[in-house]
Amino acid sequence: MTINEETLNLQLDLSKPLYEQILHQIRYALARKDLELGAKLPSVRELAQQLRVNPNTVMRAYQELNRDELIETRRGQGTFITTKPQKIQHIRDNLATEAVNSFIDTMQELGMSRQTALSLLEEGEW
Amino acid sequence: MEMEYGIEFKNVTKAYKKKLALDHLTVSIPTGQITGLLGPNGAGKSTLLKMLVGLVHQDEGIISVFGQSPSWRNNGEIAYLPDRGRWYGLQTVAEALAYAEVIFPAFDLDLARKMADSMDLDPAAQISTLSKGLEARLNLILCLARRVRLILLDEPFSGIDLVSRDKITQNIIDSMLDLPKTIIICTHEIHEAESIFDHVIFLDKGQMVLAGNAEQLRAEKGSIESVYRQLFQ
Repeated sequence: MTINEETLNLQLDLSKPLYEQILHQIRYALARKDLELGAKLPSVRELAQQLRVNPNTVMRAYQELNRDELIETRRGQGTFITTKPQKIQHIRDNLATEAVNSFIDTMQELGMSRQTALSLLEEGEW
Repeated sequence: MEMEYGIEFKNVTKAYKKKLALDHLTVSIPTGQITGLLGPNGAGKSTLLKMLVGLVHQDEGIISVFGQSPSWRNNGEIAYLPDRGRWYGLQTVAEALAYAEVIFPAFDLDLARKMADSMDLDPAAQISTLSKGLEARLNLILCLARRVRLILLDEPFSGIDLVSRDKITQNIIDSMLDLPKTIIICTHEIHEAESIFDHVIFLDKGQMVLAGNAEQLRAEKGSIESVYRQLFQ
């Protein structure tokens, strides 16, 4: 299974660091399980061409994903999504914790109590 | 990331008659990256490029290109696309590529033919009959097909159609992958080009007003285009 650039469907905003956006969007796609385990990712060249960005930018994002063992680059074969579901679960948990912490920070900044924040969450639309 | 700066200007001044083109300019350009050289007309961008190939000499200061002073002797390592440059109109595209192989050191004819094909250039077309966009594509190939350390592009996107610009961008991206090169691009088409810059230098009236890593500037101030507006509006 090969993931093409259209499936990844990355959207870049020039007002923010491009490398972070590529990294963020691939991480979230992995956490959502939109990308099949073991599937092949576009090459650095393909992705750089499609996004019209410097290859260094794509390479940097791939290196970071490699470091977290979310993807794996095999010599002469290309770059693949990890085959280990626990790696995906791990990033999913981490991203969720990050989102919750940032929600708590904002609520505290607004002076909300835990109780109020929780009831707001309950009432919120999903 | 460890950064190496292969190109350095130290306190460089150049005046054309009474007009200062570069005014005690000190700037460093990173090796193996794409640097965007930005600024209004008359900022000194073209002068800076011409100095790197020894076409213009400084009145004062020191210029170093990979450890050497600019001179025609070192130009075998540099491909330079001048602003409004023209090739021999009577040649065909195929003849131009063959001739380039003769006159340019390290010109890769196979690569040039592949680029011409990917850029939809007809080898049999006579250069004087090419549209502005097609001529710009050819001029770019004549630079990018050289296996050199340094590539200087003066306004590669100006006055040409959208498709030609896209093709030019694609070829610049490809040639970065092919060999790690140092590329300097002067352009007014910032929106078009900013996503391929690693590093950006803003010049005004012969002086550097801001320089930095493109991603860092985006994190701190937003898009390169908006930084340009903040600086020059």
